[in-house]
Amino acid sequence: MQTQTTTGDYIVEMVGITKRFPGIIANEDVTIRIRKGEIYALLGENGAGKSTLMSMLFGMYEPDEGEIFIRGKKEKITSPSYAASLNIGMVHQHFKLVSNYTIAQNIILGAEPTKKLLGFIPIVDEAKANREIAEISRQYGLEVDPTAVIEDVNVSTRQRVEILKMLYRNAEILIFDEPTAVLTPQEIDSLLGIIRALRDGGKTIILITHKLEEIRQVADRCAILRRGKLIDVRDVPGMDAREMAALMVGHEVQLTAEKSAAKFGDPVLEVSHLVVENEEHFQTVRDVSFTVHAGEIFSIAGVSGNGQTEIADAVAGRLKAKSGTIRLHGQDITNMSIRQRTLAGISYIPEDRQQVGLILDFTLRDNLGLKDYHKEPFQKSGMLNQPVFEENSEKLIDGYDIRSANRGSTMVRSMSGGNQQKAIIGREIEQDASLCIFVQPTRGLDIGAIENIHRQIIAERDKGKAVLLISLELDEVTELSDTIAVIYSGAFGRIAPAEDYTTSMLGEYMMGVAKDNAKNGGGNE
Amino acid sequence: MNNGRLYRRIAVAAVLLSLLAGTVLMLILGKNPFLAYYNLLQGSGLAPKAKYAAARSMWTDLSSFIDFWTPMIFAALACAVAMKTGLFNIGISGQMLVAGFLATITIGYSGLSAYLAKPLVILIGMAAGMAVGALIGFLKYRFNINEVVSSIMLNYIAEYIISFFIQTRFVDPVSRQSKNIGAAARLTLQDVAIGGYKFSIPLAFVLAVIACVLVKIMLDRTVLGYELKAVGANRTAAGYAGIRVGRSMIVSMAISGALAGLAGVSYYLGYFASIQPKVLVSTGFDSIAVCLLGSSDPVGILFSSFLIQVIAKGSTYMSSQQGLESEIVSVITGLILLFSACSAFFMGLVVSRKNAKNNTKDLRFGDEAETAPAAVTAAVNRPAEDKGGEEA
Ligand SMILES: Nc1ncnc2c1ncn2[C@@H]1O[C@H](COP(=O)(O)OP(=O)(O)OP(=O)(O)O)[C@@H](O)[C@H]1O
Ligand SMILES: [Mg+2]
Repeated sequence: MQTQTTTGDYIVEMVGITKRFPGIIANEDVTIRIRKGEIYALLGENGAGKSTLMSMLFGMYEPDEGEIFIRGKKEKITSPSYAASLNIGMVHQHFKLVSNYTIAQNIILGAEPTKKLLGFIPIVDEAKANREIAEISRQYGLEVDPTAVIEDVNVSTRQRVEILKMLYRNAEILIFDEPTAVLTPQEIDSLLGIIRALRDGGKTIILITHKLEEIRQVADRCAILRRGKLIDVRDVPGMDAREMAALMVGHEVQLTAEKSAAKFGDPVLEVSHLVVENEEHFQTVRDVSFTVHAGEIFSIAGVSGNGQTEIADAVAGRLKAKSGTIRLHGQDITNMSIRQRTLAGISYIPEDRQQVGLILDFTLRDNLGLKDYHKEPFQKSGMLNQPVFEENSEKLIDGYDIRSANRGSTMVRSMSGGNQQKAIIGREIEQDASLCIFVQPTRGLDIGAIENIHRQIIAERDKGKAVLLISLELDEVTELSDTIAVIYSGAFGRIAPAEDYTTSMLGEYMMGVAKDNAKNGGGNE
Repeated sequence: MNNGRLYRRIAVAAVLLSLLAGTVLMLILGKNPFLAYYNLLQGSGLAPKAKYAAARSMWTDLSSFIDFWTPMIFAALACAVAMKTGLFNIGISGQMLVAGFLATITIGYSGLSAYLAKPLVILIGMAAGMAVGALIGFLKYRFNINEVVSSIMLNYIAEYIISFFIQTRFVDPVSRQSKNIGAAARLTLQDVAIGGYKFSIPLAFVLAVIACVLVKIMLDRTVLGYELKAVGANRTAAGYAGIRVGRSMIVSMAISGALAGLAGVSYYLGYFASIQPKVLVSTGFDSIAVCLLGSSDPVGILFSSFLIQVIAKGSTYMSSQQGLESEIVSVITGLILLFSACSAFFMGLVVSRKNAKNNTKDLRFGDEAETAPAAVTAAVNRPAEDKGGEEA
């Protein structure tokens, strides 16, 4: 191995990096060299080792083998604060902000500018902080209101705050781990614009993403990882999506799922005049009515935070309906418990996989049995039947390609984000429920896995299930749906067959610009 | 997983550290620490003393040690069951007292035959503890009252009301304690003569060992245990999975209370035969440290309670042999308890160290994440925001 080749060209060099976890090699002899001022993308399947590789650059753990050079100088990056001193910054997929602090306070936290009161008492110089933040925001087009409190601002603003935090600390090397997974298409466009502006301002950017289109739009070069190994590094211009996908998973992938015409059956879910309030008595869902039939994929499209997850929670029983009725197969389930609804035939992939969908400190095996443990044969007269848990977990791990270090015995907390998601998807699809509620089912999944899941969702529909799909991903909505409802500010702007929309129409309804008082879908009532 | 092994190593380290601290203290006081520690073993009947009083021997000391050990096993199990559900039962002493008192006045003074009285004492003790525990769980579920606060308050209520009744109705004018219960109701057989020695045989010890096995099975193998642990590890996800979180918390506190009740009767109607008014026994509080040292695991608890009780029991003999003031001995026992309670903290420290090497800090703590300390910190720091929300 040639190690000592450090030319001035490269700002970051990770040479021969190997990282092992008990039972798995997350990175195996990976060498990447990143030039100053480029956007370098990392592409790879779920569990390929992207987050692990970047975590080593950011000092969250140390490589077992290999060396890291920053600006040609060999460095042992032992902690995130040391990484920060090398001008490395990272935006994590799950933001780390203090929710009751203002934006400015969050940005300066830990690096506060101080001034001396009465000449000797050090205090935080908020005025100076605000000035500096305003300056940086202007420079890179990251508008924020420094005095707004974090809990009142939306996801994309929070992300800007995370970016500002890095810039405020003079980061030169910026790592983004799946930054677009939580954003709407418009927000993604603006983020990509920001990333470009940062590069043009001389910053070096490392971007982890599963979306090939984004790589095509902004990246200069792209490294492809597969099962911990570096497969190739390519110049992005001149590369096509199909080729990238094939390199990533190791074989050809089909980029769009094939779908036959829908055959609607009887109504499965009938929601009428549903109203949901939050704790402050604000109506998050206002008088929503719709019907989902057997054999139908019914999507709710909308900008995040417009009440779509509340609808899902209300149908699944996690939130109480203020008024209105919810019927499943004609039976009123409005006041049933979650368990009763599950037994009546509802499965649910919730939006938040880590807080809601999984118990991170349980094993994968126990998590995969989370919805079934109370049924026979998982239990018999109150005693758990471990072999059945094991069998179930083996089946799902293979069926849904859930990758982890020690199969069923892995603690879910240690699994990669995408594989955690696959665990929930597998568990819920296998529920064999007549109504499947899928919220952001493919968030954080690689394209191979997405296609696989899309095929499964369509297969479920063809088996005569009713699917309620909630997704921020417009492509996903248009590709899968038979019927689309567009939600804006808690109410449906329109319910119509998917063919009746154009992309720009969807956008208008989502922004609340267009509105035709939605009739109940499917013509019931 | 090597989770358990790591924890065991840390627990052993905590104990060694505490013994070391005790050694330093004794050296400062000019005592021989090795002799002193040997005295602990002698006092608990684990090593022979130089001389014995009439009808006493190492074996009689041992049986009285086991008698002393028994309530602690129950109490630590009570703590563990709650802890696994993410609850902190700090009211074990109060629950012990209620159980002991009710069993004393109903059965202890009744003159029923032994065959009837002993099972009844056990049943009444369990039921009384269970009722108090369930009440705490219910208050949490229904009114969102933090279980730590309500159990501390109930401790006081139990202590003073029961003192009132003892002092007005059941007091023994000489001892200023409640009158001794009849031998038939007592769970420890007194002065059983075997081979010229007089033993006290703690019948409840058998029950304590059985309770360990049952709790272990309950936690590891049953639907109930799965639900309780799910609630303890992530309430939101447990609710999402259809588990009735509020009900689980009540059930967990009821079981915990029942175990505390057993601790109460084996203490007040076993090791002792009367109740001292206006005192809450320290067993209930020490059991928290015992539970932590045993990593909230029934088998671990069997070991940790043994250890702590050897020290507690042997300390009287140690102080008389070494001429140490009993206060100093209490300081040493206190140190040991302190270090064992800290073992959870050490665990956290080791885990976060390992994380620095191994794990992404944002979302993972690796497979070493230990539920017990997490539960403690959660229980201690938890503001009242968590709802026992339940869907009817
Ligand atoms: N702390 C850990 N302990 C054990 N295994 C781990 C740990 N962290 C990561 N792994 C394993 O290492 C592999 C790589 O994980 P990593 O998070 O880097 O994947 P990724 O490429 O970021 O995937 P995704 O796209 O799903 O986020 C996974 O198989 C994961 O299970
Ligand atoms: Mg990742």
